[in-house]
Amino acid sequence: MTSRIDRPSGTNVNRRGFLAAASATLASAGVLGTSREARAFGDDGAFEPKILLAGGVSGAAHATSPGRWSAEVEKRTSAPARRTPRLMKPTDPLLLDGPFAYWSGTSSLTALPSNEVAALRQFFALGGLLVVDDADPDVGTFGKDARREVARILPDSVPVAVPNDHVLYRTFYLLKPARPYGRLAGTATCDAIIHAGTLRVIFLAHDLGGALARNTLGTWEMSVEPDGDVQRERAIRFAVNIALYALTTNYKDDAVHAPFLLKRKASVP
Amino acid sequence: MLEPTSTLRTAIIPADDLPRALLTIAVGAAVVSVALLFFEVFRARARGASSSPLRRVLVVVTGLLATLTFVAAIVRPQRLRAREVSVAPRVVVLLDRSRSMALSETDVANGAPRIDVAERSVAELRKRLGGRVDVLAFGNGVPRVDIELPPASSALMRADEGASDLSSALRALAASPEDAPTTIVVVSDGAVALPDPSTLTGGPKIHAVAVGNGSPKDASIRAVHVAGAAVAHQALPLRVEVGCTGGLSCGDLTVTVRELREPDAALGSSGSGGSSTSTSSGSADGSELLATGTASVKDGTATIELPVTIERAGTRALEISVGAPKDDAIPENDRRLLTLDVARERVRVLHIAGRPSFDVRTLRTWLKSDAAMDVVSFFILRTPGDDVSAPDEELALIPFPVRELFTEYLPTFDAIIFQDFDAEPYGLTPHLPAIARYVEKGGGLVHIGGPNSFSNGGYAGTALARVTPVEIPKVIDVSQGVDSAPFVPVRTPAARASPILAELEALMATSDDDLPAFPGVNVLGDTLHGGVALWTHPRRKTPSGKPMPVLAIGDIGDGRSIALGLDSTRLLASGPSAAKNGGRGFDALFRGLLGWLMRDVRYEPVRAKLVHASGNSDCLAGAPAALRIEASPVLGPARLRAAFAPITAPRIRVGEDAPSTLDVPLDATPPALVPLGAAAGLPEGAWAIRLGISEQDVEPALGALATRTLGACERGGSEWADTRPNRDNLEKLAKWTGGAVVSPGKEGDLPTPTAALVALERTVSPILPAWAWGALAALAMSLHWFVRRRAGLA
Repeated sequence: MTSRIDRPSGTNVNRRGFLAAASATLASAGVLGTSREARAFGDDGAFEPKILLAGGVSGAAHATSPGRWSAEVEKRTSAPARRTPRLMKPTDPLLLDGPFAYWSGTSSLTALPSNEVAALRQFFALGGLLVVDDADPDVGTFGKDARREVARILPDSVPVAVPNDHVLYRTFYLLKPARPYGRLAGTATCDAIIHAGTLRVIFLAHDLGGALARNTLGTWEMSVEPDGDVQRERAIRFAVNIALYALTTNYKDDAVHAPFLLKRKASVP
Repeated sequence: MLEPTSTLRTAIIPADDLPRALLTIAVGAAVVSVALLFFEVFRARARGASSSPLRRVLVVVTGLLATLTFVAAIVRPQRLRAREVSVAPRVVVLLDRSRSMALSETDVANGAPRIDVAERSVAELRKRLGGRVDVLAFGNGVPRVDIELPPASSALMRADEGASDLSSALRALAASPEDAPTTIVVVSDGAVALPDPSTLTGGPKIHAVAVGNGSPKDASIRAVHVAGAAVAHQALPLRVEVGCTGGLSCGDLTVTVRELREPDAALGSSGSGGSSTSTSSGSADGSELLATGTASVKDGTATIELPVTIERAGTRALEISVGAPKDDAIPENDRRLLTLDVARERVRVLHIAGRPSFDVRTLRTWLKSDAAMDVVSFFILRTPGDDVSAPDEELALIPFPVRELFTEYLPTFDAIIFQDFDAEPYGLTPHLPAIARYVEKGGGLVHIGGPNSFSNGGYAGTALARVTPVEIPKVIDVSQGVDSAPFVPVRTPAARASPILAELEALMATSDDDLPAFPGVNVLGDTLHGGVALWTHPRRKTPSGKPMPVLAIGDIGDGRSIALGLDSTRLLASGPSAAKNGGRGFDALFRGLLGWLMRDVRYEPVRAKLVHASGNSDCLAGAPAALRIEASPVLGPARLRAAFAPITAPRIRVGEDAPSTLDVPLDATPPALVPLGAAAGLPEGAWAIRLGISEQDVEPALGALATRTLGACERGGSEWADTRPNRDNLEKLAKWTGGAVVSPGKEGDLPTPTAALVALERTVSPILPAWAWGALAALAMSLHWFVRRRAGLA
């Protein structure tokens, strides 16, 4: 496999270069006035951790983390990703544009109004996946309140622990040990609401966004405890795996992958 | 023969309303009365009564008279006058007009056809039987009044039925409202299906004229048995019976099974043949070898089991042939042409995506949600340029098995979906010719858009472009391969009328909505290979000035192909527009497209079959043929267009006409029969038939929107499987009914049927009124009493 898309005509314009150029051209031409129009052909289905503004949340708990998440996905995988994720209220129709949203915070949440509950219910009905990231898991207020609100949105669903052999831990990286990672060690498992075998809501209590946050100078904003950079790398890999799960669901559960993955699992210490 | 005769008959009969029991009682009482009378007279004489003999005689006479009038008062006699007519018996001659009657009457290959002999025999029977003789032709189903064709007509035209179902013919005669025949004469070679003897009990006598004295030297395929239903990708056991007759020395015969396809559908087919019993290889004439084996003939017959695996569902044509010795006199029955409806247990789909995206996720989720779909996915998750920051061992990635997929496993898939996949970097380019052949030989292809699809994927000018229903333009720069301006596709009239997108159209009509705005499109050219654009771009034109196709379908050889120049159809599943209908638009779109691709009958506008003109049996070469329309999108007056493409070289005889196109009005209310070809019928062969039916004033679409089916016409079919006449069958039939069997020319030896009597007029009138009989009885009784008293009797 090669990374470049060489054309028969000898051109050396590659896909990502082309997409960036196309977006830039359209933007400079004043065509891209709204986020809806900001999509370019080929970028429409790109990974984007849309930041959910609900329950009093006004942005991501770590503002740079969603962009970093996209950047890591784009850098490490073939998946396209939107480097500047949008902020959206539950009632924003564009929330339905991509089946993935990111809800993070540190403090308590206000109860969602009924129209937002209905809008998020529709988001899930159309196959949406929501990652709830408690950025202050030691206190746990956000995580607790988020569970309360999710219970209102999906009253018939109960969070269960994601088993460590779940495909979430091998959608791209073979995570060893198979568990969630973030800025803090947190619990050895994460909870999730699972519908028809597919994850709908992932509850993280490890401050994943904190491990991803990086300022414009390229400096990590938060220190990662207890294992420092090793743990940060695992958190990034976990974030990439979540993104690939959002893009491919249980692809790595397909039988065709089984013999390869079993062999690799055996070889990785 | 007997002419109708009239006779008058008179008789005295009891009153019609008299119960039989009462008549018996009356007669019994009379007998007892007479007995008692004589007893009294003799007893009086014995005891020396003083009465004279004359008086005793008078007692007896008046007693008898009283008894008679008593009985007459009860019986009330009437006079009957009946005029009766004797008519000639109804005789039905059943003439076998099945195709076996076109064979030689003797063991000489070019001897007189059996039908000639049979027709002469029927003429002789008419002459001898005279009167009411009905000649009916039988073959398949209900017998019909025989129509004698001019003697110059070929034997094939005069023996044009595809079966010899004598059982159905006799059953239809018994159920007929006409008066039952007193005698049936069957004129046949005896190669017939006999009825159950119990059904003949109480019926007319059946005689037979046995035509045929032998058969030429012949090797043939006697029968092909298919065990169970044919299912794609699964071995189907074929049991082939071969036979040799007429003293032909056969020994070992090679039996071959081939799948027939349109010749252009197999261009460049390659592969190796072999002597194994189950193999697969292509040939230049479009057929593909499925299996071959050797049958060792003993006592004139042999049976061989040949398992074959048909990879494609739908109607498929097989040629089963036997390599006959050179003395074989009837080469037409050395092969059988069969059409099989191959079912699909599961749809096996190969889904290949160039990169993960929400569009890929949506399609994969949809594919996996269908339990009848067996999905094998390969997504390119990493390119060498990606910095994974980890050794390979820590990655859950596997190599893309491009060689194995597109060589070893390719035929096992029913459809391949390329989604935003670049052919060049992943080693696909060398396999594009194989993929093109796969489509031409019956596979399904879906090419979905994206920045790496179509022109940008390096597909222009490749073998894959050959099987894509739109032109893939060559581009200098990737920016020329896509148009990033948002747009709402225009739904063409074909899309609105086709069952393929009917569900999506209905969904949009319900929610009063249009398609969503899509963020760009792959630049495509005109439709090719009879392809049909279902969606077009509202602004972009092709170089020829036509609206640029966005979604197009094409019928390519034996396979089908779809080009979808969008990378965001997921907006039908999860976008703001999708919220209006619960995201069901995506399901409706892909259910229709995949259903059409897999030839699901729900998405086929027409169902039709090539049959014998009677509609009752398979098509026979040299006999009138028809298209039997079994399902139509239009009911009532309609217009039919059809195009025929041979999938094996037709074997044409004088006067026969190979069909090419058809454009006729018809009443399309199924089942409808559309006559085909010249008066002399179709030649021997097999065709791919594309059909379109529309309202009368609309031109039916062919191309990709047509229904494609396969049909075959055999020269002899099962009728020539065994060319020997079978007199034994006729002997059995005659024996069961008390009839006789004679040879042609000996019709006079058949017993003459007796005339049937028919009463035309019947008049009944009373001799005396009932009260008169009663009065006479009373008078006679009084007289008898008086005489008895005078004679001294009590």
